[in-house]
Amino acid sequence: MTTRSKTIIICGGGLAGSLATLSLSLSLGSEYHIVQVGGINARHEDHLYGGATDPGSYNFLLRLGLDEPTLMLRSATSFSFGTHFRQWLDGRSWMQCHHAPLPTPSGIPLRHYLTRENAGLEPLLISAQAALAGKFAHPPADPRSVLASAEYGYQFDADEWVALLDRKIGETSARRINAEIRSIIHESATRSVVNLDTGEPLEADLVVDASGLSRYPIEAAGGTFRTSRSIGFSLSKTPSDALGPPCRTIDADETGWKATTHLQNARHTLRVSEAGMASDEAAAHTAALGHLVEAWVGNCVAIGHAASVFEPLTPAPMMMLQRDIERLLELIPTHADPGIERREFNRRFRNDVEHVAIFHGALITIDSAPETEYWRAAREQTASGKLDRKLAQFSNRGLLTSFDLEPFNEEDWTIAHWGMGRRPHQHNRQVDGVSDTQSQSELGQIRNSVQQLVTKMPPHHLYVGKLKQYLEKQNYA
Amino acid sequence: MTAAALSHKFKDLNIDISLVESDHIGTVGVGEATLPHIRFFNQALGIDEATFMKSTEATFKLGIEFCDWGRKGDHYIHPFGDYGVPIDELDFHQFWLKLRKAGGTHRLSDYSYPILAAEQGRFRIPEGDLNEIGSNFGYAYQFDAGLYAKFLRTFSEANGVRRVEGRAVEVGIDGESGNISSIKLEDGHVIEADLFVDCSGFRGLLIEQELKTGYDDWSHWLPCNRAVAVPCESRGELRPYTRATARTAGWQWRIPLQHRTGNGHVYWNEFISDDEATHQLMSTLDGPALAEPKQLFFKTGRRKKFWNRNVVSIGLSAGFLEPLESTSIHLIQEGITTLIELFPRDGVNPLDINEYNARMGLNFERVRDFLLLHYVATQRDDSEMWRYFQAMELPDSLQEKLSAWNARGYVLQYEFGVFLPPSWVAVMHGQNLIPEGHDPRVDRYSIADIEARLEQIRLDTVREVETTPTQVDFLRRHGAASGSPLVSAGKM
Ligand SMILES: Cc1cc2nc3c(=O)[nH]c(=O)nc-3n(C[C@H](O)[C@H](O)[C@H](O)COP(=O)(O)OP(=O)(O)OC[C@H]3O[C@@H](n4cnc5c(N)ncnc54)[C@H](O)[C@@H]3O)c2cc1C
Repeated sequence: MTTRSKTIIICGGGLAGSLATLSLSLSLGSEYHIVQVGGINARHEDHLYGGATDPGSYNFLLRLGLDEPTLMLRSATSFSFGTHFRQWLDGRSWMQCHHAPLPTPSGIPLRHYLTRENAGLEPLLISAQAALAGKFAHPPADPRSVLASAEYGYQFDADEWVALLDRKIGETSARRINAEIRSIIHESATRSVVNLDTGEPLEADLVVDASGLSRYPIEAAGGTFRTSRSIGFSLSKTPSDALGPPCRTIDADETGWKATTHLQNARHTLRVSEAGMASDEAAAHTAALGHLVEAWVGNCVAIGHAASVFEPLTPAPMMMLQRDIERLLELIPTHADPGIERREFNRRFRNDVEHVAIFHGALITIDSAPETEYWRAAREQTASGKLDRKLAQFSNRGLLTSFDLEPFNEEDWTIAHWGMGRRPHQHNRQVDGVSDTQSQSELGQIRNSVQQLVTKMPPHHLYVGKLKQYLEKQNYA
Repeated sequence: MTAAALSHKFKDLNIDISLVESDHIGTVGVGEATLPHIRFFNQALGIDEATFMKSTEATFKLGIEFCDWGRKGDHYIHPFGDYGVPIDELDFHQFWLKLRKAGGTHRLSDYSYPILAAEQGRFRIPEGDLNEIGSNFGYAYQFDAGLYAKFLRTFSEANGVRRVEGRAVEVGIDGESGNISSIKLEDGHVIEADLFVDCSGFRGLLIEQELKTGYDDWSHWLPCNRAVAVPCESRGELRPYTRATARTAGWQWRIPLQHRTGNGHVYWNEFISDDEATHQLMSTLDGPALAEPKQLFFKTGRRKKFWNRNVVSIGLSAGFLEPLESTSIHLIQEGITTLIELFPRDGVNPLDINEYNARMGLNFERVRDFLLLHYVATQRDDSEMWRYFQAMELPDSLQEKLSAWNARGYVLQYEFGVFLPPSWVAVMHGQNLIPEGHDPRVDRYSIADIEARLEQIRLDTVREVETTPTQVDFLRRHGAASGSPLVSAGKM
């Protein structure tokens, strides 16, 4: 695919479609025609991205020209130190925060000290404490500052981000067609024809399925979606002048859970429950959870919800979407037969899907979850050899078993285990070489400096307000 | 290494460590080239680098020069470091590939600080921003393994390790658990323990001879099964790299230390006699031999379980992968680090054993694929051995890596395993696998733009190398062993 010009058609006008269109147009040279066909996916499906990103989104968006000033000034985006599981299964409550590598006093991971001292993890985490106190400030570059180990993503409104992306796409040479797709004929591994309701046939070398739950393009190419469970979901938006904390809040009940996202001008509440259950919210939609067996089939590559659907319990749906796009960018075919790219894309996709699934599994695996339809179905989905190994090793001695290129890192896992109330049966033997007094004093010091700093940090809303004033003065707007 | 690390890590604990070794049996007596990770091992033990260099007659190593691997007459250096620097987060080699197709003439190596420094015999320790040219490299050592063992033995004894000299002749088994409970030495001395680390070399005294753990034979992939080794006098300039030269039925190493040069010929005895292998080695030494050539026998593969019951095998007892990329000492280090993380508290837990075996299994497998790459990414078919490799059906994981590279210069990504993408690039490119295509994202840059950017990087690299002292000068300030011929040969 390097000599004549090529056409890549992105099917989907939602978040996945617009992110992919902008990424492809900015990354590829002029011999690529990028065409986005919008109109195929229903906007409400973007709510399933959960309105939250992880720290990796900063660079990802920056590469697309969506810098933080733009997000803050031109949308109601706010900061996110993570997800506050305020009321989770069996009464558990913790802040699943984003955090840089945890301290290792005397070269020994912190969790081993905590195990021995039977101490809590949360008071030692600056991003957790700040989020719980509703405070935010940018982590400084100076590694000596306690705040330097905080990491953050964003809370956002998907519709607004699509609008921002669309404006950016307008500045590129990508062509946008607002039409319905009538049919797609995948003629060979390198050529498809997309027929639009406008009557226009479009030829494509590569089709990107960003059609959300419809999945029409990938299914036309022979893709199979594997699901064993459906959920109902609905989003309600409540206008609000008071910006809430820099984190999403999640509360579970017998029939599912709800997540509240705190934006500059509103509170969004996403309600997730068993499919078909009457919801107190206006319009409830249904989504099958699961993933494609192969996300790249023939010359069609599915991304975002077209490829995998996870409950947005964590920023996983956005992390997956970002990974889908990055994988695709790295593997734009160079040959007539994209077999190599397809196999590698699918290998990485399968790994990513499995690794997200086990992290979510770790948040659900608990003996005392409610015996209701929703939670029974959720638990049945968690069986995995890798998760069993992770849980067994952590319970045994606080060991974090890792696999290649997992999206959730050691800190995420440590915080999740602690939050879920898992404690290693024994601590690592190296800790025995450090006296109780010494480790208690080290832990005490971290705890104190975190506490002291949090009291000095500004509330999220004030920080964002001041930041915007500053940016406006700098003529960012 | 194991005794030193355990005694250091657990020095404040109530753990008694005994080191049993037999002067009569001795050690394998080879193993001189290392990977950069060895520095972290020494650092973790608080070992001062200059003292270590002096005590082990060590030199610095910036990589390995491979001669005659792609084709006879070829040579390239596999450096410990990147080529160039990424441009807008895209791999540097992708730009080079595009420029090369447009007529670019500079070697990929011309953009590598460690390669240029190695070629010119220069060395300095990387400092500052590790993403910058002139700092984005690693380094290892070439040392006298016997002296290193002695150095660590002294270190261990100072940390309370009890060294017992003698030959173990009998093993006591606990009737109930089936675990090993003791070893008995020739002089009747019995040593009881809860955990045994089998570092007895190829024989696998406990893990194999006693526990009959079994061995996965990988010789169909890596069939070299013998080596002959001999040290010789150092001659010429002291180079900061190891050399591995391909031969008709194996390959030959050359490892320059301060006081001598280590040499060896690793071969497949199916296609060459021991005498001929020895002859080839002896006729290609840099200087007069300093000892009689020593013959070694091995079988490539790994123990089926590295940790079985209460025995953890570390070193040659755990498995063997030929020393083409200096990985054995690194695998020892991995074994030790993993053992420390999983060190038992009240008896051995099957969960710990499983985790240890899974992790070490992955380490061995990923090294195996990388070693095999050297034999199959080649145009050589001039002898039975090379034709054997040409006809070989590769493990899927390796085949896929080669296909992706050949098509577009893409390196399949894995997180774990000692060799990162730059190493794969070095060997595949070094052995003349030039990808047909490149990453299409590079096409958004004009040739003129790429040319200008690459030239700037090349000049910056050359400039950095020019300000780097020679290894000899550097060593004189940092770790020269007293009386080493290198130092006294008028270079001081
Ligand atoms: C040809 C060749 C080249 C190599 N080159 C490299 C290289 O460049 N880089 C690298 O990293 N690695 C290299 N290696 C591997 C490296 O030599 C070994 O990994 C390293 O030396 C460790 O060996 P070991 O301690 O496991 O075994 P050995 O050196 O064999 O030590 C075994 C020990 O066990 C003791 N012992 C055995 N049986 C008994 C008994 N019954 N009673 C009491 N004590 C006993 C011995 O006395 C000895 O102390 C090479 C190996 C070979 C064969």
